[in-house]
Amino acid sequence: MLTRDYRDIVGGGVLLCFGLWVAWYAASHYDLGTLRRMGPGMFPMLLAIVLAGLGLLMAVPAFFREGPKVQLRLFVPAVILLSVLSFALLIGPFGLIPAIVAVTCLSALGEEKFRPLAIVLLCLVLSVIAWLIFSVGLGLTLPMFRWPF
Amino acid sequence: MDMLANISLGIGVALSGTNLFYCFLGVVVGTVIGVIPGVGAISAISLLLPVTFYLDPTTALIMLGGIWYGATYGGSTAAILLNIPGTPANAVTCMDGYPLARQGRGGVALLMAALASFTGGTIGIIILMFFSPLLASYALSFGAAEYFALMFMGLVAASTITDGSAVKGLAMVTLGILFGCVGADIYTGVPRFNFGTLELQDTISLVALAMGVFGVSEVIATVRNVHVSPIDRSSVSFRAMRPTGEELRRAGTSALRGSGIGSFFGALPGAGPSIAAFIAYAFEKKVSPRSKLFGKGAVEGIAAPESANNAADQTAFIPTLSLGIPGSPTMALMLGALMIHGIAPGPGLVVEQPSLFWGLIMSFWIGNLMLVILNVPMIGLWVRLLTIPYHLLYPAVLVFICIGTYSVHQSAFEVGLVAFFGALGYLMRVFDWPAAPLLLGFVLGPMMEEHFRRAMLFSRGDVLTFFERPISATVMAIAILMLVWGVISTIRQKRRARLEE
Repeated sequence: MLTRDYRDIVGGGVLLCFGLWVAWYAASHYDLGTLRRMGPGMFPMLLAIVLAGLGLLMAVPAFFREGPKVQLRLFVPAVILLSVLSFALLIGPFGLIPAIVAVTCLSALGEEKFRPLAIVLLCLVLSVIAWLIFSVGLGLTLPMFRWPF
Repeated sequence: MDMLANISLGIGVALSGTNLFYCFLGVVVGTVIGVIPGVGAISAISLLLPVTFYLDPTTALIMLGGIWYGATYGGSTAAILLNIPGTPANAVTCMDGYPLARQGRGGVALLMAALASFTGGTIGIIILMFFSPLLASYALSFGAAEYFALMFMGLVAASTITDGSAVKGLAMVTLGILFGCVGADIYTGVPRFNFGTLELQDTISLVALAMGVFGVSEVIATVRNVHVSPIDRSSVSFRAMRPTGEELRRAGTSALRGSGIGSFFGALPGAGPSIAAFIAYAFEKKVSPRSKLFGKGAVEGIAAPESANNAADQTAFIPTLSLGIPGSPTMALMLGALMIHGIAPGPGLVVEQPSLFWGLIMSFWIGNLMLVILNVPMIGLWVRLLTIPYHLLYPAVLVFICIGTYSVHQSAFEVGLVAFFGALGYLMRVFDWPAAPLLLGFVLGPMMEEHFRRAMLFSRGDVLTFFERPISATVMAIAILMLVWGVISTIRQKRRARLEE
């Protein structure tokens, strides 16, 4: 246990800052209008102020109580998120199958054990399934391979 | 007579070849993802949302609905055999299901769960059939103020009733509505918060948000954390399923009580099947003369929560279909599927789309029947699924999340959004922020803004308009009471936690 609930202090702080920033952004970029005839900026600005208030409500009481220790895993989330991003980057220029292989290989790094054979088989099976469902079954025009250069 | 005509119309729609096929597909997919721990109905439905673009809206909803209640059926299997709930709604089933399986009577537990689920589902459907049209005809006279009030109450209920801090729930609802603000303004067409990008001039894709916040973050949380223990195969053989007559009788009455409790809590916004199952279990333990046996393998402890969560699955459609106000994130996705097809959810749906409404309800009957057949004689097949290692499963889930999102608009940007919302979903888990209110706020946000601005226009900027009309005043009063009670109870809870240290 920690002497203060740092999880809620940080979390509330993040929401407070985000809310204030959104409120400022909405007020300075969009027309607020009046309550009777609201412009595009009014509703988001009001909400953002509410969000900032809730962030404050979350953070302030947390200063006066003990809190749990938070375990922050970095490697697994990073690898999984990178695998999704790699799909977004590869699908356009290189086609579906390289994107699938990238997701499978990158995300498989998240496990403790490295299993090369399983990964290769998984790449093959997933590529075939994806081709069958999306290209043959649903008739989407997704290029399987592409070479941009 | 009207009811009979509607029922026969619904049966006709539900029994058509395509609809039967997709109903079957839905319940099979639902059972599979329900059985496998670490993949929930929300991820499966958001995964299949892109596929529904190619289907007729009725067929689409029939399939998505099948996944939703099918998962609750399948979820009991993992709960009983592995002591891991397949879906959150099956968490209580572990308490008596797993002890029974340890005694070599897993088959009895599985049969009881399937039969209780069917009872609950059936009763839930009957209530849905009678109450939805009633509520809808009443709601036809609602104006902008009433709608805003109802949505406001739904969101407050969703964020305060769920366990944990009400302040966090409310903050997530607000954040969700803010994400809903991204894109073109409804009245002026001005693009908001697009930060100069072309892709965000339209709204944020519901599929991308749901896949990221639920699908990707679920994978992140489960990798390295699932440890499956071996299963005793002989306990699930057909022969091991024979219950004693006394067990059947006892389970029968608790299944009926559980269905009643489940039907009520399922229709409440924010409550849903998990809470229904918990309350049904607690109630059963209180009224049962054999309450000492609870937790050691009492059949009532399986029948009550399993009937309650399935009844709640069905009655959750009451506010969704008759008011257009979803009470849970899964229901929000269903509404999303409707809106994608250009069908406006609301009280008009029951009258304007009778074949959709009644066809969907009748498909629930058929789906529940299919599930009993799938879950009793074919249980061995699903048990085998439990032995698929997660290290093979999650890359496949991620691949389907990516392709599914990409296929909606052929947009790599939206896959990037999935990564963004996946990161957000992981952060939310770290900060202990609930994800369900975020998705609800996101779906309801644009509708709420529209009704709020319209009500303000009618009342010439007078905020008190919500308290002047009787229906909206009552609803607002309930919502504000819940709000105050929620905030106070979180503060109290924290004080108590401090005192216990």
